Order: sequence, then structure tokens, then C-alpha cells
Amino acid sequence: MIKFEFDVTASSNGKVINCHVCLTLNSCEHNECRICQSKLHSRNKHSLQNTIALLFTGFLFYIPANVMPIMYTNLLGQKTGNTILGGVITLWQQGSYPIALIIFIASVLVPIGKMIALAWLCYGVATDRFSSYQKHHTLYRLTEFIGRWSMVDVFVVAILVALIQMGNLMSIYPGVAAIAFAGMVIATMLAAMTFDPRLIWDPVNAKSDLNQIKNQK
Amino acid sequence: MQHHPLQSNAHQSLESETIACHECDLLIHLPPLAEGHKALCPRCNHVLTQKRRNARDKVFAFAISAIIFLVFSLPFDFLSFESKGNARIVTLAESIESLSLYNFESIAILIFLTTILVPGIFLLGLVYVLISLSVNKMYRHTQKIAKFLFSLLQWNMAEIFLIGILVSFVKIASMAKVNFGLSFFAYVLFIIFLALTVSNLDRFQFWRWVKIHIDQNQPNLSQLKDRGV
Ligand SMILES: [Zn+2]
Repeated sequence: MIKFEFDVTASSNGKVINCHVCLTLNSCEHNECRICQSKLHSRNKHSLQNTIALLFTGFLFYIPANVMPIMYTNLLGQKTGNTILGGVITLWQQGSYPIALIIFIASVLVPIGKMIALAWLCYGVATDRFSSYQKHHTLYRLTEFIGRWSMVDVFVVAILVALIQMGNLMSIYPGVAAIAFAGMVIATMLAAMTFDPRLIWDPVNAKSDLNQIKNQK
Repeated sequence: MQHHPLQSNAHQSLESETIACHECDLLIHLPPLAEGHKALCPRCNHVLTQKRRNARDKVFAFAISAIIFLVFSLPFDFLSFESKGNARIVTLAESIESLSLYNFESIAILIFLTTILVPGIFLLGLVYVLISLSVNKMYRHTQKIAKFLFSLLQWNMAEIFLIGILVSFVKIASMAKVNFGLSFFAYVLFIIFLALTVSNLDRFQFWRWVKIHIDQNQPNLSQLKDRGV
């Protein structure tokens, strides 16, 4: 067995590599994990480029998702388009404050906040500007955890379309924004998955390695 | 549940295992954990692993229950809607499929995948692996399935679908009567058992079970490769 200098990471140690699938430490000499035969790599490949490209895609979807109608209501032959914000305002006026807030947070604030947070993380990693690594790691966990929940709106449209089908009396059908919205959620989820949180910590590893070299002298 | 913060420079005991934190890559000596203990990364606080009492039996039982309730959520009435003498009853599949009436098949497929197929395949795959571990057979497939199980989990949105249903319910409650059918309650139970399965399933412990299984079935493979380390 290799002896480890502790307070170092697998990558800065240079002898071992962690399998991303089964979490087993492998010797760097191997290309495949000895337990699960997955391809070994120390960091997600092109993590920052992929995350930024996916964020950009997500942002392109975000605009039509909010500007265009997510569904149409046909009430007695009169057809009106409903945007997400319009729906929030209607709910608020009806007095359903908690639901209005949930929809507003989940479909307007969370997606844009998540994109800004991931962009900030990419910027910080690329320029090594972080003062608190722990805080930025927490921010990453939050974006990763929260991503799927924006899908609520698409599900609401699906259920309303399924239930309210009474011809000209009252019908609901989906709008283009539903597709844009789903595209935005998927793109930002992929962006969070491709971002490698280990990159946040890499500058610390480099510094601790320097300290070790100093100590040896 | 006791927290068990680790020291990265702790002395290596005979039983301890060296691992790297999955989220920050720090090398850590993981001491043997007692049941009910949780190991946290000393640097980034990532939960490295959590050892729960009878985790394997619990995960198996919860996963089987979740599969049964998922099956039961398919054939019966899911939701019904009544307004001004008009009534409409839909099954779970119909509630998703209606979108395709308006050429929104892409969204219908996406919803079907994230709320039924992905969690269903995850549960079946998990049960398959756990059965193969307990009978000590089917090594090849076991490993292949074990590898994609955890990436499937990221795409499960069943519980979000449930929130979507409740939000729709609030939206139309003022103008119509919405009733929940038998399938709906089966689907709620499916989500509860799926959540119990996931919360008792620890990725590190899961792979530990699989590793022991591999060692017993193909001792040469892992030992030969081990020598390089
Ligand atoms: Zn860590």
C-alpha cells in the first residue's frame, strides 16, 4: 500500500484517484476502477466550459419561458394566454398567498438565482477569488438540490390540461413557454451536474502543498 | 443519529480505510463505523457515509413496497374533475398523455420519464442488485446496474409531480370540485416509500455490499488489481 501524506487530496497526492461511481480509491496507474470498471478521471472533464455552455442555454430558455404564455384558457369561446407571472398575480388576487409565493419563488426566483449562483461559482473557480471555500461549496449544494423543484410549473400545466377539457365551455391547453421552461430546468440541472465542486477546493490544495514543501525544508 | 466528525490526520488503525471525499477530494482515514453513526468530511462537511441499522433489509422492503404502490397507481382513477354538470375522470397515464392532444408530446414524454419510468427503473434495478447480492449470483448485470442506479436518482421528480398536483388543486378548487381517486393515494404511498428507500440507501455502504459480493465471486479480479495500489 502507498503511504499517504495526509491533509492532501487524492489529486494533489498524485498517486491515487477516486472513482466517481463507486467511491473507491484507485492507483493512478489504472484507467479503469478496480471495483466497478468505470473510467477514472480526477475532475469532471471540461467542467467549467460545459457548465457555462449549459447555463447560457438555460438563460436562452428562461426568457421565452417567462415572456410567452405557459398555457391558454378558453372560457366560453374566449381565448386568453397565461404567463407564469400572470398566474402568480391572479393567485395573489384570489388570496392564495402561500401558493402564489411558492410559484413565484419556484419558477421565477429560483431559476435565475440558480443561474447567477452557478455563473458566480464558475467565475470564482476560474479566477481563484474565493475567500470562503466552505460557503461557496454550500452555495453549490443549494443549487444542486433546488434545481429539480422548478419543474412544478410544467407539472401544473399538464394536470390542468388533463382535467379541464370541456370544449368551448372551459378548456385549458399548453403554451410554448411550457417547453421553454422544461428546457430551462433540464439545462440548469445539467449545468449543476457538470460543475465539479472539487474545483472550488483546488486552490486550497495547492496552498497546503506549498506549506508541506516549506515544512520539509 | 450521532455525528462523527473525522480527523484527516488521524492515525491509521488496522481496520480503517482510506477514502477520498467525493465532493472536495480530501484524503481521509475512515474508521470502522458503529451502527447509527455518520461520517462527515472534516473539510467540507459532506456526508461521506451513514451506517444505519439493518439498512439493507430496510432498503429492500421499502423498495418492494414502492414498486407495488407504483403498479397500483396505474390502473385506477387518478383525479376527477366536476364543474357545471361536466365531469372528467383521468388515470395517471391520461393525466400525462393529455398534453399530446396539443402536440406537446415532448413534455408528455418528459413527465412520463421523470415521474414513472425513471423511479420505476431505479427501484427495479435496486431490487435486482439486492436480490443478486443475497443469493450471491448474477455478478455481471449486478455491476452494470449498480453503476447507473445513482445517476438515475438525480432525474426522479415524482415528489415534485405531487406538489404540482396539489398546486393545480388549489388553482381550480374555487371553480370546480376535484376528487382524488384510488390511484392517487397509491401514488402518494409510492412517493413515501420511494423517499424511505432513498433516505436509507447510502452510496458508500451500497458499494461496500457490492464490493464484498465481487470479492466472493471473482476474488482474482479485485486482488490482482489491488496489488497495484
Ligand atoms: Zn469533503
